Amino acid sequence: MSDKKIHDLVIVGAGPAALTAAIYTTREDIETVLYEKGVIGGLAAVTDLIDNYPGFAEGVHGLELAKSLKDQAERFGAVIELGEVLSIEQEGKHKKINTLFGDVYAKSVLIATGCDYKKTGVPGELVYYARGVHYCATCDGAFYRDKRLVVIGGGNSAVQESIFLTRFATHIDLLVRSTIKASDVLQKELKKFVDDGKITVHLGVTPKEIKGNQDNGVTSVVGVDNNDKEVDFPTDGVFVFIGLKPNTDFLNDSDIIKDPIGFIQTDSNLQTSMSGVFAAGDVRSGATMQIASAAGEGATAALKIREYLEGKLVNDKPAVLSLQ
Amino acid sequence: MVKNITIFTTNTCGYCQMVKTYLKAKGMGYDEVNLDENPTRRAEAQLLSGATTVPVTIVTKTDDSQEVIVGYNLARLVPAVAVN
Ligand SMILES: Cc1cc2nc3c(=O)[nH]c(=O)nc-3n(C[C@H](O)[C@H](O)[C@H](O)COP(=O)(O)OP(=O)(O)OC[C@H]3O[C@@H](n4cnc5c(N)ncnc54)[C@H](O)[C@@H]3O)c2cc1C
Repeated sequence: MSDKKIHDLVIVGAGPAALTAAIYTTREDIETVLYEKGVIGGLAAVTDLIDNYPGFAEGVHGLELAKSLKDQAERFGAVIELGEVLSIEQEGKHKKINTLFGDVYAKSVLIATGCDYKKTGVPGELVYYARGVHYCATCDGAFYRDKRLVVIGGGNSAVQESIFLTRFATHIDLLVRSTIKASDVLQKELKKFVDDGKITVHLGVTPKEIKGNQDNGVTSVVGVDNNDKEVDFPTDGVFVFIGLKPNTDFLNDSDIIKDPIGFIQTDSNLQTSMSGVFAAGDVRSGATMQIASAAGEGATAALKIREYLEGKLVNDKPAVLSLQ
Repeated sequence: MVKNITIFTTNTCGYCQMVKTYLKAKGMGYDEVNLDENPTRRAEAQLLSGATTVPVTIVTKTDDSQEVIVGYNLARLVPAVAVN
């Protein structure tokens, strides 16, 4: 391993947590490489308008925030490689990070891989994936100009994205399994669209099947209501926003301990159960799932990583587990 | 060998930016069809890809064969645009 380059820090992901950490580390001359399998900027980059990130009085478009974070990190020397990280393991004193394009080595690692959308698992979802079943409104909404849509979910994402999709669709049926769980601000906003007849909310409806045919793609969503009655919702497409699951499957064979749902456990230094491997942002057990908090955790992790690299990390013990 | 590359995109699509970022990093040129600015070409994108999503990347080779890549998929994009 002596002839291999050992990076000071490899960051897995390039969302808000990762890019903020990279701004801090590279500014302090800690050589940093990020690996990103999806969009630079993470989930923030695929969100249309972000209204609550501090410093933007009128809100900021997700892609614009993502570009600023990227440019700022690169200005200090961060290197962003495109590609997925497939595993992390200890090799001697260092960490071996296996990526889609080969192995790299580092003294420390920050996992900032965030979360991905959950699937419903109902028949038809996979068959019509990208042909009527979607998970990204900012990517695929434009295909539904003047068409009818079904949105599945009742949390912040489902409501926010339904509102976004009204700029294309003539009408949206929002299918909610129990009750709307979105924030009060979003619920107030939603009410305007319901009053205008653009969105109809169906509470207590669980999706059972997504139907369609070879020629037209999706044609309807079959739901089951609280009385166990099947209801058919004719539609041209379905957007699914039923919650998020942490991007941690790639750690299944590692020594990094997760909580029962799959989020990474850390100690108060944001260090995981593997010494020198840290976690920040939505992927961390106990995270508050906001861009501002992801950025804050990224900054904290960067400062703790610096202490680790200097051999000064206080309480340098791997995470003690409360949930396992 | 690649003859030309066309990407169907929309204004708000982050994954479209990533296809462009990758091609730019490799020094490769491409034509972009922005479906927000050219809505009449949506049907073409749909016909070529069989999908109602962007990005759709069409890689045309020198023998005029075409490879259609739906979404941002490096495992397919990288070999499709490789020089040899
Ligand atoms: C629809 C929607 C609307 C939202 N609106 C708001 C809002 O208005 N305000 C707000 O504060 N928050 C909002 N959020 C939440 C916010 O987007 C997240 O809290 C924030 O993006 C988390 O940042 P992160 O860096 O932890 O993770 P992410 O943004 O999820 O970034 C993680 C990155 O890691 C990459 N990755 C994952 N696995 C790997 C791997 N194995 N190898 C390489 N890369 C990998 C992913 O591709 C991703 O780009 C919204 C979320 C959604 C879904």
